[in-house]
Amino acid sequence: MALGFNHKLEQQQEPAFFVRGPSPFARLVFFSALSLALIATDSRLQYLSTVRQHLVAILHPLQVIANAPSQLYQNVTEYFSTQNRLVSENKQLRQQALENNVALQKLNTLTLENSHLRGLLKTNQALAETSVLGEVIYVGRDLFRKKNILNRGTQHQIIAGQAVVDATGVIGQVTRVFPYSSEVTLITDKALAIPVQIERNGLRAIAFGRGRDNTLDIPYLPANVDIKTGDKLVTSGIDGVYPAGLAVATVTKITATPDSAYARITCTPTGGIENHRHVLIVSMPIKNEVPSQEVETSQNTLPTSNKKESGQTKIKKAANLTEKPIKPNATQ
Amino acid sequence: MPHNNFKTVYISLLVALICLLVPWSGLALKARPDFLLLVVIFWLIRAPNLCNIGTAWLVGLIADLASGGIFGQYALAYTVTAFFGVVYQRRLVLFNHTQQLLYVFILLLISQFTLLILKVFSGAEVWGWSYFLPSFTGILLWRLAVLFGLNTGGRARGT
Repeated sequence: MALGFNHKLEQQQEPAFFVRGPSPFARLVFFSALSLALIATDSRLQYLSTVRQHLVAILHPLQVIANAPSQLYQNVTEYFSTQNRLVSENKQLRQQALENNVALQKLNTLTLENSHLRGLLKTNQALAETSVLGEVIYVGRDLFRKKNILNRGTQHQIIAGQAVVDATGVIGQVTRVFPYSSEVTLITDKALAIPVQIERNGLRAIAFGRGRDNTLDIPYLPANVDIKTGDKLVTSGIDGVYPAGLAVATVTKITATPDSAYARITCTPTGGIENHRHVLIVSMPIKNEVPSQEVETSQNTLPTSNKKESGQTKIKKAANLTEKPIKPNATQ
Repeated sequence: MPHNNFKTVYISLLVALICLLVPWSGLALKARPDFLLLVVIFWLIRAPNLCNIGTAWLVGLIADLASGGIFGQYALAYTVTAFFGVVYQRRLVLFNHTQQLLYVFILLLISQFTLLILKVFSGAEVWGWSYFLPSFTGILLWRLAVLFGLNTGGRARGT
């Protein structure tokens, strides 16, 4: 074998004695300048997003090839999964379905009651949100960012800005959409902020991703605020992105530093940020679709004295104010 | 043993790209060697007339696309790395395997440092020494390739 190597070594092309073309340094300067120009364009302007979409679509077949081995492995393990395991899983799922059904019945009555109450108050109806099931194809390759790539894209009517949840809580937000895939920025990413509310007392705050350790921070709450470790954070729903009441995180650590007026609050996400495969992509309903019938019936039932009227308009104004969407920092 | 022509260069780059696109996760993602850069360095040393700084830049753009980051970051990192590879190319082919390995390691580190600077400027969080893990796995892969008979242009000790 060693002989073969030497033979090949002789065959190896020697580089031309005179370097053809521009010198390495000239090339370095040229291509570095080009790269820097690209960086500046891509980070400050939006011209390259469509280019990126097309290029990612071209890359898609390669991605399918690269995914094939792991896909095959999954299929094979699924195929050979034992009956025992399937039976026990089935049993477990049945039980879960039963429990869920009971909860759902309660939810139905509550939804009905809620819509009646909202009708009486003449506020906008909270509409049901639509959702699409997606699967995480791979974890984002940029280790500096917390991102997941899903197998749903513009072909499946996904739009940037939609919220992504799993069975246990909020995962993140769709930030880029490609024809056959979409990029989800996780709530632990440094550039993502999510409006939350403490379940116990309704205190509103904004949680920011920490960028590492899979945790979130609530940076702008005063040190004397009513918050305890173990408090559950849910989405407040006032941003127009995340539906209200979804679990986001649990407070794990609160440190009050004497040199700062703000408490350092660290939370761990409730959702299976890095271990769930199937997720729901949720879109918020359009706000101005107010069912007019409900409003009319409520007008009939309510006495129309001037005092009441003014009170109602006040409530309406307040409702409009709270429902003004506050977009969190959507990432690039 | 690969032949030196454009077809081999591009096919090897394609294979490296597919390796990059494999859905890595967890520790494997953190330790994953930079396949594309390794292939580029290999061709830089072996056939600088086929693969030069321009090729490295183009490959960097593809890496940018695959990583989903800002365009031009990998491209700049690969360009700088390729420059240092090309400048010492004549000496590199005369190095023995160990010396070559060391130089490849330095090249991989240069690429990672450049990328780190760019990422930090765009507001990323640094998470510690494990960031440089791909350089170590990179030279491990290089060493394995040499052991399995890939001629990296360097001469074996004693020949």
